[in-house]
Amino acid sequence: MLTKEQLLLPLSRNRGDAIVVTTMGVVRPWGKISHSDLDFASADSAMGHAADLALGIALAQPQRKVICLNGDGSMLMSLGTLVTIVGSGVSNLILFVIQNGTYEITGNQSIPAGEHIDFLMMARAAGFQRLYRFNEPTEFTGQLPEILSGKGPVFVLVHIKPGTEGPIRRHEEEESQYLKVSLAESCHRMRKVLSGSDVASDLLTKI
Amino acid sequence: MISAQRLLEELKRRGVTHLVGLPDNSSAPLFSLLQGNGDVRLIAVTREGEAFALAAGLWMGGKTPALLIQNTGLLESGDALRGTVSRMRIPLLCLITYRGFKSLKSTSSESAEMQPPFSPNLLSRPDVDSTALVTEPTLRAWGIPYFFLKDDQGLAGLDEAVEEAERLSHPVAVLITEGMK
Repeated sequence: MLTKEQLLLPLSRNRGDAIVVTTMGVVRPWGKISHSDLDFASADSAMGHAADLALGIALAQPQRKVICLNGDGSMLMSLGTLVTIVGSGVSNLILFVIQNGTYEITGNQSIPAGEHIDFLMMARAAGFQRLYRFNEPTEFTGQLPEILSGKGPVFVLVHIKPGTEGPIRRHEEEESQYLKVSLAESCHRMRKVLSGSDVASDLLTKI
Repeated sequence: MISAQRLLEELKRRGVTHLVGLPDNSSAPLFSLLQGNGDVRLIAVTREGEAFALAAGLWMGGKTPALLIQNTGLLESGDALRGTVSRMRIPLLCLITYRGFKSLKSTSSESAEMQPPFSPNLLSRPDVDSTALVTEPTLRAWGIPYFFLKDDQGLAGLDEAVEEAERLSHPVAVLITEGMK
């Protein structure tokens, strides 16, 4: 199994100009090592909807890679999204499922059937053609450049050790830059950055 | 009846780039039209909650999505709607076919009984479509302004819905009470 650092540090060094969507247990750890305008925390948002949100961004921005760092509990909340991703024909989405077998944010209660689920098989059955599974860090770091290049959608299952992240809030006192602002502001800022115009500027002043 | 072709033209005229949703019997003609359309891209989802998150992502990416779902799907989408487009202040046009609208209007009940909180007896009555019963109160509770579309003459009213969404920077619903052809 990898630690979160062993997953996130190589990713932050290799992500280039990719958009990164985080949720649940990796929101704060990612925010501590990355300070990009292209980071978005699906936090204080809708449970289990990081992957479909990331799919929307990817469909809107086909010239960029979009990386979604989803949790296993979150993926279970919307398994149909695996099918929606494939059906959409998206080619620039890289979906990570970070499997620790627990709901970390609420104190590491086990997810249902955690010892039996094979997310990789689920993704394969949904129609993903490029799939990776990692249990140890060296292999992950070695294959990361390949994962981040070429045509997607790509599904990456990473087994990690359970962590101790607590509930996530958006607040000025949060250390992570992208948690210092509200969900609405973060969303409108991202539209402004990605559309390359001041289309959202009026809206930002309203919030 | 509403012409699916004319509705599609109106969406294009308003700059809609993607229509995200799931078909029902009423909206099926528009979904069929979209499958061969390059101007407004159809994104099919497996459950309506996905549609709200996906539309939020499209909007963040600079596009102008709209939604097309049934009111049953609206109810299914509760937390997705709340946690994405509502809390994100996205001016999303949500086209919602209104299952049970006619039965609602013909229900012989006292008007007070037809207002929330509804009684268990009313919610379980065979001649009452409880989806229709809770649709508008749910939208009001969530602070989603809503408009009605019943025929082609009403298509011009989409402007009012879009303007309200932009003014509030918030999703609005257009309840489609008639079938499409």
